[in-house]
Amino acid sequence: MRTRNVTLLMLVLGLLYTVMLAHAQNAPEASEKGKEVYEQSCAHCHGTEGRGDGSAAENLLPKPRDFTRGLYKIRSTESGQLPMDQDLFDIITIGMPGSSMPGWETSLSTDDRWEVVAYIKTFYDGFKESETPPRQINLEGKISYSEQSVETGKGLYVELGCVECHGNVGRGDGTSAPTLTDEWGFQTWPANLTQSWTFRGGGDTEAIFKRFIGGIAGSPMPAFEGDSFLHFGLTVAESKRLSELENKDEMTEAEEAESEKFYEKMDAAVDLALNRVEGIELTATEQQTYDDAMKVVYEKSWHLANYVKSLAPEKRPESAIGNNVLRSQYLQGGLPSMDDAAWETLQSKHFPLVGQIVIEPRQFNPTIDSVNVKSFYNDTEVAFLFTWDDRTHTTGDETDETTGQPLEDALAIQFPVKVPQGPTAPKPYFLWGGRLPVYLWHWKASAPEQVTEVTAKGVSNAEVQEAQGELQTQSVYTDGQYKLWVKRALKTEDKKDLQLEPGVFVPIAFSAWDGANGDVDTKRVMSSWYTFVLEPVPSSRRFVYPPLIAILSLGLLFGLRAVVQRRNA
Amino acid sequence: MKTYLLAGLALLLTCCYVSGTFAADSDAGEVEMLVFPDSYTAGSVSGGGTISGIVTFEGSAPEMKKLEITKDQAICDATEKYDESLVVGEGNALKNTIVYLIDVSKGKDFDKATKLEIDQKGCKFTPHVQIVPVGARLTMLNTDKVNHNVHIFSSINKPVNKQQTKNRRKMPLAGVKKAEGPVAVKCDIHGWMSAWMAYVPHPYFAVTNENGEFTLEDVPAGTYKLGYWHEACGSNSGAPASVTVEAGGTATQNFTLKLK
Repeated sequence: MRTRNVTLLMLVLGLLYTVMLAHAQNAPEASEKGKEVYEQSCAHCHGTEGRGDGSAAENLLPKPRDFTRGLYKIRSTESGQLPMDQDLFDIITIGMPGSSMPGWETSLSTDDRWEVVAYIKTFYDGFKESETPPRQINLEGKISYSEQSVETGKGLYVELGCVECHGNVGRGDGTSAPTLTDEWGFQTWPANLTQSWTFRGGGDTEAIFKRFIGGIAGSPMPAFEGDSFLHFGLTVAESKRLSELENKDEMTEAEEAESEKFYEKMDAAVDLALNRVEGIELTATEQQTYDDAMKVVYEKSWHLANYVKSLAPEKRPESAIGNNVLRSQYLQGGLPSMDDAAWETLQSKHFPLVGQIVIEPRQFNPTIDSVNVKSFYNDTEVAFLFTWDDRTHTTGDETDETTGQPLEDALAIQFPVKVPQGPTAPKPYFLWGGRLPVYLWHWKASAPEQVTEVTAKGVSNAEVQEAQGELQTQSVYTDGQYKLWVKRALKTEDKKDLQLEPGVFVPIAFSAWDGANGDVDTKRVMSSWYTFVLEPVPSSRRFVYPPLIAILSLGLLFGLRAVVQRRNA
Repeated sequence: MKTYLLAGLALLLTCCYVSGTFAADSDAGEVEMLVFPDSYTAGSVSGGGTISGIVTFEGSAPEMKKLEITKDQAICDATEKYDESLVVGEGNALKNTIVYLIDVSKGKDFDKATKLEIDQKGCKFTPHVQIVPVGARLTMLNTDKVNHNVHIFSSINKPVNKQQTKNRRKMPLAGVKKAEGPVAVKCDIHGWMSAWMAYVPHPYFAVTNENGEFTLEDVPAGTYKLGYWHEACGSNSGAPASVTVEAGGTATQNFTLKLK
């Protein structure tokens, strides 16, 4: 029995080992084939010399990677280490969400992708020179997701200073966010942690953990190596005790000595961490000390990864594309104001926004990703609640050099002036109208309590309506998110306004500006037309007619039967 | 609707492919590098000489730019801060110039007693220029009660980017293997913080003080190329000064620099 168990175990282990080997694959020797594939598929952005300066690079942000420095963002290896070949292969295969790097799984064969890995490694000599394989981040001891773990992680998020760039609730709106640049001097924004679908290396907990421990090379995101942690080298209990001591106004002699011991222990652990980086081999006892210290660090890091994971929804909200009707819900009585809890009962519609690139000035590097919308209406009015993430609160203090217009955050909601009759009837041009005019609600951060009504027949032909004041507005900016509430009567006197009626499908589109990103005029993010409808109230007559018809039919049947019976008789 | 999106996408791609003249921005701000000897043997030096001098700025110095403090004002804005890329003192004395021997292959060892520290105090690095021997550990101090991140933009050695939280008073950094310099030091959290360092293979490096003075001591007698580097004024590595120092003697070499 026992031998069989052992055999089974060996089999399982053997299998596991094979699987692991298969996963951590190495690239082949660099060849002409790799060069060929690279020049055909990669050089447009990354340049023939791998400097990230291909012909398409100019308009891209984040910029294509410069391979000549050996700095790779997405690694399964420790800080300062080169990536594994598998890391490079995975990025080529999957791509980098939130950037211009596509996945090549369907357009390049597995062999070709490995050839490319081998070839891009030739751009940096460090790959050839390194004698030892890169040190991988140890993923053992993962702490699974729980509310308690998230709570612990939340504390670390503040303690370690994540909040400086990523902001209070993770929307990438930290106070340091506007001044960040990458290794090459290009502006860069911290990740919006509530949008895990934009994480370059993926949004799963392991990926978050690896970015945190290993840092994101070439970006301002530091590596949280062990000794970046408070009280590195102490156990959780010791750290707690030291914090107690440090918070005392005055320490007794005994307490002084106690804390001194802790400091010595920490210094020793830091010393070992540095020895390790410098390539000085640790003795078995030293290794044990170091491992013990790192165990605490890794535990904390898993809690932090769980917290970051908790900030984003499980999945990207379903886009309104393909399911593109924004339905306003009927309410009896007054409509809820901006902060009313009634809004919580509605599911918001998610409208992705893309950079406007049809006419000058264009926006190739948008910072606003989407706008979420909810709506209620009653017998006389309609109310909308718009929310969108913007890392910076820009209110027009600075002006754009070319247009002279103030740089400020803004949102515009666009309808046609006249609803097209039928699904095939033409809609106005999606970009500020054209031959057919559009009716716009234009909100600007410099006048946050006001929405201007505009009629436009194209971007250079927009007119602020003479009759204003039909819209009620509330707005607020908190923690990297705007919330805008707008209310209007369903019917107005103004002929230039859109008139609303339940059950009528109305085209709707959005534009948004991030002043800090240089958005002004047509340099903005926008959507094309979607559809909005005041969801008709299901008529109460549905409870009357069907039974009535049933009774009538039955009566008729019985009548017929009676007639037939009488005839037969 | 979808047609517009597709058209837009097609246009984007066209734009990308058409605009073919993209010059890498990084070339513009290229920093002139220090020149190091191929090898250096450290030993004891007896009867060495001294090379000293004063570095001055040519013409009238532009007014120092006041830095805009955008966060943690209570600590960072407690005292006024200026861009330290060009610090000119009395008599046009130029501070923060690295003056060094280019072609020394033998000489004294590093003074182990020298403290290798950069303090982050009031959200400013002090000193602004720090010399660090290859292999030695630089200690970053955090005297502020705010979070900093130490970002060292090495390209020959591995770049460093480590968080130094507000509770972490001292953070030693691992020694590096190769000589490299100058290397920029920044804090991404406080974007205005800037300093420079150099990882050097021999001890004949000096940084000018507020009087523009530098001194290289215990230099074995001989003739050397004397180099300088300054953040705003550039370097003379293309045409270094030639200085002869005699045993026990003092050679003087002054430099007058202008903006590059």
